[in-house]
Amino acid sequence: QLVSALHNLTRHVVYRGLTKPEDILALFPENFHQNLKNLLTKIILENVSAWRNEAQASQISLPRLVDMDWRVDIKTSSDNISRMAVPTCLLQLKIQEDAALCGNNPVVSAVTVELSKETLDTMLEGLGRIRDQLSAVANK
Amino acid sequence: VSSQQFCALTDVLFRFLTEPKEVERFLAQLSDFATMNKISLGPLKSIVKSVLLVPSGALKRNLSSEQVRADFIALGLSEEKASYFAEQWKLNSPALTRLAVSQTLMINQLIDMEWKFGVTAGSSELEKVGSIFLQLKLVIKKGGQMENVYMELTLPQFYSFLHEMERVKTSLESFS
Repeated sequence: QLVSALHNLTRHVVYRGLTKPEDILALFPENFHQNLKNLLTKIILENVSAWRNEAQASQISLPRLVDMDWRVDIKTSSDNISRMAVPTCLLQLKIQEDAALCGNNPVVSAVTVELSKETLDTMLEGLGRIRDQLSAVANK
Repeated sequence: VSSQQFCALTDVLFRFLTEPKEVERFLAQLSDFATMNKISLGPLKSIVKSVLLVPSGALKRNLSSEQVRADFIALGLSEEKASYFAEQWKLNSPALTRLAVSQTLMINQLIDMEWKFGVTAGSSELEKVGSIFLQLKLVIKKGGQMENVYMELTLPQFYSFLHEMERVKTSLESFS
């Protein structure tokens, strides 16, 4: 019962995002032991930001990008043309499935994509637009 | 076949080569040519088939227009006709080369990218969140089929992704 009560208390603090000691102290009932109240508040305050970050990291989401690698190759010949020098890019994205679904064994899948120069240029244009939109939102 | 007819036929051939999807148009133009010049379609088709082999072989071996001309003369074509063909070849070879390059094998080619971003307002754990997320959808051609890959990125991840892609672009440009 004690553990359950503590759990509820900490969840409430994290949920509400309480950061000031007065707010946390106000949660305890009137005749609660003073020193215990202060000790608990102090411990909770120390851990609140770590708990918030962890909650945010494990919230439901689409699969998340965890890593990316790339390499540039030069194609020198093919069955259509015996001699050429066409650069191309291979991009590998490591994606982790929703943490909440996998528990302790997250499934990481790797997607390898080939990009020609034209595709890369178009992609960069798109990414640039995202960046502009993001700065517009951030500046509001 | 007279020179004029040969020139017209060559034009039709090259138009087809540069737009290989226009098969119907090519066949229609061939039968028009046959009726206009009173040649029967059957033999015309087989001649055209063998003539079409020449440009694709030339493309494979990166032949110059001089070599194409020499090949044709060796095959028994008159000099005038061979020169005309070689001229057309020179004019069209950049487009034909580009076409051949684009048909080169590509593994898991990226076809399209869509995105949306927004703000996480709240969750079951945290009442007020206010963090920005970016969702990307990549459409990839795997073998014959399209596959959609969905992923979410945080802002710092997005900026480092953008940075890496710009590095790739610099690298590709230095090799072209």
